[in-house]
Amino acid sequence: MPVRFYFLATAYTLAFTPLVFAADPLAVRIDRLIEAKAKTEGVPLAARADDAEFLRRAWLDLAGQIPPTADVRAFLADRSADKRARLLDRLLDGPDYAPRMADRFHLMLMERLGDHTEWSTYLRETFAANKPWDAMARDILRADPKADAVTRGAAFFLAKRLENYGQNPVDYSALTRDVGRLFLGKNLQCAECHDHLFINDYKQRHFQGLFAYVKNTTLVPGPTPRVAEKPTTEKMKFASVFTKVEMITGPALPDGRMVEVPAFPKGQEYAESPDRKTNAPGVPKFSTLAALSEQLPTVKNRDFVRNAVNRLWFVLLGRGLVHPLDLHHADNPASHPELLELLADEFVAHQFDIKWLLREIARSETYQRSSLLPAGVKPPDPALFAVALEKRLSAEQLFAAVCQAAGGKPTPALKAKFVKAYANQPREPEEEPIPSLRGALFVLHDADVLALLKPKPGSLVDRLANLADADLADELYLSVLTRHPTAEETATVKKILTAADGKRTDAISELAWALIASTEFGVNH
Amino acid sequence: MNRSPLCTPRDHRLSRRQWLGSAALGVGAFATPAVANELKKRRKQVLFVWLDGGMSQLESWDPKPNTTFGGPFRAIPTSVPGIHISELLPDTAKQMHRLALVRSVSTQDNSHSAGVDRIQRGDPKNRGVTYPYFGSAVAKLLGPGDGGLPPYVWVKPGNGGFIYKDAGFLGPQYGALALGDGKPPENLVRPPDLPAEADAARNELRKLADKRYAAGRRTELTEANSFAFDTADQLQRQLDLFDSAKLPAKDRDRYGTHDLGRHMLLARRLLEAGVTFVKVTSYGWDTHGDHFNGTASLHPKFDRPFAAIVQDLADRGMLDDVLVIVAAEFGRTPRINGHLGRDHWPEAWSVCMAGRGIKPGVAAGKTNALGTDVATEPHDIGHLFHTWYAALGIDAAAKHFYNAGQPLPIAHEEMHPVKEVLA
Repeated sequence: MPVRFYFLATAYTLAFTPLVFAADPLAVRIDRLIEAKAKTEGVPLAARADDAEFLRRAWLDLAGQIPPTADVRAFLADRSADKRARLLDRLLDGPDYAPRMADRFHLMLMERLGDHTEWSTYLRETFAANKPWDAMARDILRADPKADAVTRGAAFFLAKRLENYGQNPVDYSALTRDVGRLFLGKNLQCAECHDHLFINDYKQRHFQGLFAYVKNTTLVPGPTPRVAEKPTTEKMKFASVFTKVEMITGPALPDGRMVEVPAFPKGQEYAESPDRKTNAPGVPKFSTLAALSEQLPTVKNRDFVRNAVNRLWFVLLGRGLVHPLDLHHADNPASHPELLELLADEFVAHQFDIKWLLREIARSETYQRSSLLPAGVKPPDPALFAVALEKRLSAEQLFAAVCQAAGGKPTPALKAKFVKAYANQPREPEEEPIPSLRGALFVLHDADVLALLKPKPGSLVDRLANLADADLADELYLSVLTRHPTAEETATVKKILTAADGKRTDAISELAWALIASTEFGVNH
Repeated sequence: MNRSPLCTPRDHRLSRRQWLGSAALGVGAFATPAVANELKKRRKQVLFVWLDGGMSQLESWDPKPNTTFGGPFRAIPTSVPGIHISELLPDTAKQMHRLALVRSVSTQDNSHSAGVDRIQRGDPKNRGVTYPYFGSAVAKLLGPGDGGLPPYVWVKPGNGGFIYKDAGFLGPQYGALALGDGKPPENLVRPPDLPAEADAARNELRKLADKRYAAGRRTELTEANSFAFDTADQLQRQLDLFDSAKLPAKDRDRYGTHDLGRHMLLARRLLEAGVTFVKVTSYGWDTHGDHFNGTASLHPKFDRPFAAIVQDLADRGMLDDVLVIVAAEFGRTPRINGHLGRDHWPEAWSVCMAGRGIKPGVAAGKTNALGTDVATEPHDIGHLFHTWYAALGIDAAAKHFYNAGQPLPIAHEEMHPVKEVLA
């Protein structure tokens, strides 16, 4: 009977599973799962984004920038069938990809805590070389002071978090939390002092196990980001504030095996002893950071893999399959559980190749859907990905886009102003667009922003001022909003120009400002 | 978004000013009884005066003259028979019939850093999340009011800016707009080379662009963007709020020209302009040394403008709408230290309130004869939050905040309001 049953089941599988399924590109399989769920929920999908919407979206996501006007014209005029795929290839292999990803991951990993040239160099070089994500995570968590000149910069992730301010002690709780949030997708904050009260999967031992990896790390002050370790010689005791029952843990990943803490005779813990004369911190024989960097970023650590693909999905789609990004647990399942597993399997099969995964996601119809709702339909649940979600532009993207649109020179001083006006506070993840009074006042009145919209050689307004009225609207909209104007918009521009009388240049400047200050410009839609 | 069938938000602001602000403008066409009632029903505001460092209860609300720890100052009668307060607050004493005291405040935190946070966040129980300050909580619960101004404005000495940390888990949009030394936020003033007509023209075009973009899309983002620009617009229209030169000299004299006087006067004008929650902070109340000389100069700085604003709010009929609170992170020790100072004393201190929902002219709770401890039921910050929410007509038992889907109580669950001071 069992044997027969087995055969039946096999026959069933063979009969109903299309054999080509596994051979289809990932992009196609993504769409199949997203479309199936929308169908089950009875939610209509938005139409395919038109070329202009797709072009702007892809540029902002993969180059951190809006396209120059000439590129917009060329892409919109291109009639070839494979132009979207070619554009994606061009952007992913182009010179802006590495800086863009460096910016994106800097924002995700440092959350405006601070920056360092060695860190940004590390990120740029690794993305330029398309280093696999597991290797990057290893660099970052290892913080090896003996690494090569570029890799050394990865230590900044830990080093910055090991700083202390004034009399406040180093915030090891926040460091532990960030390792859990950013590399495992688990915010164990509430599990520091007791098992999480609402999330059954998050136990105090999980927090404490992660804490044990980092609790003996210290900052080595100096111009380069550098982390030292004091010897870890025994397991760590902790107790829940509720039960007061003492527990013990060595370094351990959530639900992973506890790392044995080797015993060395007193005085022999160091491979290189600390030297007071030279201030060398010494190197212990047993390094918990080495253990962490070997055990966390692995194929077997499903938390690590799921977190990675969920965050890459978020980068392109504006929302995690698991959302919020750092609350992976049984009671907060992925919107599309099969898809999350599929992405995780494929990411592993492709050796954590970030660029490959981004390319596949960007090729999907899901990524290329319009943000316009299907006619007569109420906004569907964003978790269905049935309509494209509006993504926040970082201060850096907005800065680059404004300079590109207005034809102004991107200076570091102006960039700093944009960051001040649009960035969140440190530790406040920038995951959704939140228009602010601060940002509004900045674009309304900042002298440098307004100066960008003055007629200067090469500037947008100067270029427009030299065009005939009939050509002006098109050039304006292509340059700022990466699309042709509608008939209605062209009419508005004409009307404004006609009424401008002797103040034509001022009117053009006002038209350009209005588009730059608009919601459409301020997000990636 | 349209909150009233009667008129637009801007009409409200104008009508309210005409109606309440100045007799010279007369009773405008809007001030029909129906509109007046509508306004009254809707408007709830808070004035939160924060005396940072901790004001001595013994030299203010709960004097103990002629006792071991009483200090050199006398207690004086107030406008309410039977209630005496320190002679350092003579003007406030004349307002006592409008005030309510809780003299049985007993809180936990002895340090400034913990105390400021804990008192203003009102969450005694650590839930692993950062609770909003009272201002952010009220901004969230009551919304921005009808004047188009941000719901939570903080007038303080020193620097201004957008202070998001107050909002805790509610998110940055509920943070404070801080007016450093009463000055306007950065970039508020339109540059001189941008004429008003050009500014209006470009904003019309921006609105048109947003309207076109929003058609056929989710509208939340466009609405939020409009709100940010509208707020900027409203603040610009009220630039005179920041220009004290435009005030009658009489007002300036009554409030005083020192920072707390100027800031309290600005607070009154912000409340008149419809801001939901105005916090006024005064620093320097941490008198560990030379306390009695210190208080002799500090307390009058508070006394005059505070009495003036209570009087002004009453004159304008606004005390029915505005909940007034005077608090700090703790009181000061009864024991006088070797430097003739008083140290931190959360065990027994006082909080003053007035206005909306508050029973006027009462003193609730008592300390013992020496003022060292609370002799009646002690009231922690949770009790005060319950009291304030009750005064604002917010049901603290039924209403919750939500953090990532998790419901969180708006006030400490095991506590209750101080009923004696509720109207």
